[in-house]
Amino acid sequence: MAWPLLLALAPTALAAPDAAPDATALVAALKREVPAVTAYVEVRYSGLLERPLILRGEMQYLGPGKLAKRVDTPWRELTAVDGGNASLQRGDRPARSLPLAQVPELDSFLRGFSALLGGDAAALARDFSLSASGNAAHWQLRLEPRDARLARRVQWLRVDGSGSEPTCFRTREADGDESVLLVGALAATPLAPRVTLGQLDALCRGLKR
Amino acid sequence: MRVEPPRTLLLALWLLALAALGALAWRQLRIGTDLRSFMPPPRTADQQLVMDQIGDGPASRLLLLAIEGADEATLAQLSRGLLAWLRGDARFEQAFNGALDAAAIPSPWLPYRWLLTPTLDRQAFDAAWLRDALEQRAADLASPAATLLKPWLARDPTLETLNLAQRWAPPKMPALHDGVWFASDGAALLLAQTRAAGFDPAAQRDAITALQAAFAALPARGEARLEISGPGWFSMQIDARTRGEADRLGAASTLGFIVLLLVAYRSLPALLLGALPVATGALAGLAALALWYGQAHGITLAFGFTLLGVAQEYPLRVLSHRRAGEDALASVRALWPLLATAIVSAAIAYLAFFASGVPGLQQLALFTIAGLLAAGLATRHLLPRALPRRFRDVATLPGLARASALLERVPRLRWLPWLLALAGGVILWRAPGPLWQNDLAALTPVPAQWLARDAQLRAELGAPDVRYLLVLQGNDDEAVLALSERLQAPLEALVARGALDGVELPSRYLPSLATQRARQARLPARAALEAALAAASDGLPFRQGLFEPFVDDVETARELAPLTPQAFASSPFGARLAAMLVRRGDTSLALATLTGVHDAAALQHWAQSTAGAVRLIDLKAASESLVAAYRERILRALGVALLLLALTVAIALRSLRRAWHVLAPMTLATLLVVVVERAAGIPLSLFHLVAVTLAAGLGLHYALFFEQRPRDAADARRTLHATLVCVLAALLVFGLQALSSLPVLRAIGLTVALGVGFHFCLSILMARGKP
Repeated sequence: MAWPLLLALAPTALAAPDAAPDATALVAALKREVPAVTAYVEVRYSGLLERPLILRGEMQYLGPGKLAKRVDTPWRELTAVDGGNASLQRGDRPARSLPLAQVPELDSFLRGFSALLGGDAAALARDFSLSASGNAAHWQLRLEPRDARLARRVQWLRVDGSGSEPTCFRTREADGDESVLLVGALAATPLAPRVTLGQLDALCRGLKR
Repeated sequence: MRVEPPRTLLLALWLLALAALGALAWRQLRIGTDLRSFMPPPRTADQQLVMDQIGDGPASRLLLLAIEGADEATLAQLSRGLLAWLRGDARFEQAFNGALDAAAIPSPWLPYRWLLTPTLDRQAFDAAWLRDALEQRAADLASPAATLLKPWLARDPTLETLNLAQRWAPPKMPALHDGVWFASDGAALLLAQTRAAGFDPAAQRDAITALQAAFAALPARGEARLEISGPGWFSMQIDARTRGEADRLGAASTLGFIVLLLVAYRSLPALLLGALPVATGALAGLAALALWYGQAHGITLAFGFTLLGVAQEYPLRVLSHRRAGEDALASVRALWPLLATAIVSAAIAYLAFFASGVPGLQQLALFTIAGLLAAGLATRHLLPRALPRRFRDVATLPGLARASALLERVPRLRWLPWLLALAGGVILWRAPGPLWQNDLAALTPVPAQWLARDAQLRAELGAPDVRYLLVLQGNDDEAVLALSERLQAPLEALVARGALDGVELPSRYLPSLATQRARQARLPARAALEAALAAASDGLPFRQGLFEPFVDDVETARELAPLTPQAFASSPFGARLAAMLVRRGDTSLALATLTGVHDAAALQHWAQSTAGAVRLIDLKAASESLVAAYRERILRALGVALLLLALTVAIALRSLRRAWHVLAPMTLATLLVVVVERAAGIPLSLFHLVAVTLAAGLGLHYALFFEQRPRDAADARRTLHATLVCVLAALLVFGLQALSSLPVLRAIGLTVALGVGFHFCLSILMARGKP
């Protein structure tokens, strides 16, 4: 009869194609096992640049408040955030270190990122207002900073994903500059040197090709 | 027979005259609180410098501020609010609460960065250097710190402005949270420099109360508190504490004094009228100061009022010596020759202070002499006419006769004084420890927990040492700045060796003109720079023409007139540099503040090796030597005073033997006071000297009156009564002060109380003639 079929469909019905997904549930589903490692490609647009910067490397989530980002091309760099301290080592230069307390806006930005990867919706909701759209196959999570200091730097963050996998992290800064971070399967996508935001958006929404 | 004016009219006129004197003093007399006007005039340029720096040096005008008791964001907000107020208030010269934000450097100053930072001293301005900088900036743009960097990138891709901000920031800084200094215990920290001298308690109180009010008026303050430390705060607090305790003790001893006089004379009018001669003396002294000098130091007045305590004896003598059946004027006439001897000899003795050459001491002498004479004349001419006719002859008081008889039975042990003098001399000679206390601050000590907190804040803020100072000398500002540049390397070596934590040289803010020109000469011309920039940015993604503002700045910098200290005055650190440079005669001096001096000897050794170009000044030692010089003059003045006193007494008594009977107990008692304090390990300060002088003045009275052969037994009883009342009154007032928790009040109280005791006992033993 129709009943068993309905029951079988129930779990997926929570994220039914026509119903907007729940932001809290989406964040909770993002929780990664530590250490979570993924390759990425980052495309950065700025009014100061005539073409975007395209960086490739690896990102690591090592637990709450512990993040690392390695750039492999076009230069070598390792940024690590641990215990309220950010350190940056570029090429063969001596490492530089900066207490995050000195830059509260950077601190809350990284805290938000860490909460996202830790699946900690409550912590995330303290710093950002969350809204979700799309469907289970291609959802979008939008984060707008609550902290006025962070809002002076960052307008919003958007995470694109499919199921429990995030595919893109897009940041729009207050001055209009944007960066898009493509992770997981999308990280290996070859990109034209002057790839546009529209093209990247299409990739993130799975409308590729 | 003359008709006496009615008592009430006389009293009214007297009070009116006092009011007039008071009004004159109030309108004309300025009371200074600056310690320096109390010091002997400086003789050398160095002494002058020390005088300027004691209390007026940048370090002593620095207040350390901590805001605590709220969350970090609130504290940071309050810190910014308070800073805005401090920078707008005329009582404060400058204030800091965090890193100098590069954005806070006004735009017209930015091209000067090429002349002010040492980057080009070691670095060629070429394509390779630019390439490296541009690559770094491209990478920075992709880092999380990009948002901080973007506003600067086009104008300053080499981050020279950041170098300048770091160079101008204090050498050692607390942690920055949210752009604001924070202590390790979570308090927001600020530094504020007052315009007023650090040891001017009145001016400091003015600035600090305004600061506290401004803090209280800040919005969204919540539970947050403002904590203040530093020399100015200490001098204000100690001033208030000393005042408060002196007032409390004064109230208690006044009460006791009133009770004593009521018991002694059984008359309220007598008590009230008895206060008038001293009041007359004090107001006359103030009026004399107002007319003669127009101003006086607070310490001079405090010492003067202490010394004027002698005059309280005059009315007491009159009250005790009134005879039954005789009108007060007649009693005073009989008493007057002796009293006049005491007054005039004291006044003549104080003349010696005029020769000291120290303004403070001359003012003290004028005040005391005018006060003693006025109090004496009031006692002689006004008091007897104002006293009520009905009174009780103290000679009839029960018990006094017995006391008098007891006194007569005291054996006159002629050998005892000689033994005491000998023993005293030996103790004085053998007692260990320093004889003199030259550190005036030791008498008004800052509580240990304040000092500990101050040291903690000072260490966190990297605030300069208040004791040591480097003085650089040259022919003009340029020479001093060039010297300052040369000193940087050897001083850095001393820092590396741990002799000190840091030094703030004037060349940190402004290099010499020669250095600025050398840096200017290394800046490329526009065409060369554009070519280098094109080569450097090849293959990098920066927008075409992005660095136009950078190229403009370099071109501007090539044409700038190098900065002189005068031109630098309007920069964010102009006031800082101006405070460091001093013009004296035909030489220029620069004062470099030191931070965390650990090995003063090593610094001193190094400074001596510079052949006079650099001197290390120890402000504590310098101020102590000034105090020692001051004391030397007081001692010399006192020596002359003693001679004048002996001469006056001998002339007045017309007998060397009688003068000896008066002066010997006084001198021996004074010696014994010094001996006791020495044996107790108390080093003597200026305050002790003044107290000893007051006690000697009182002792002179005891001896003079005991030495006088009484007319009859009743008169002897009256003399005894008067002396007992005087001694008890002095013991009461100064004995209470001796119990004070403040060393300065304890010093005066203990010394006078001890002195009164010795003078009384020795007068009984030595002054009285054969019965």
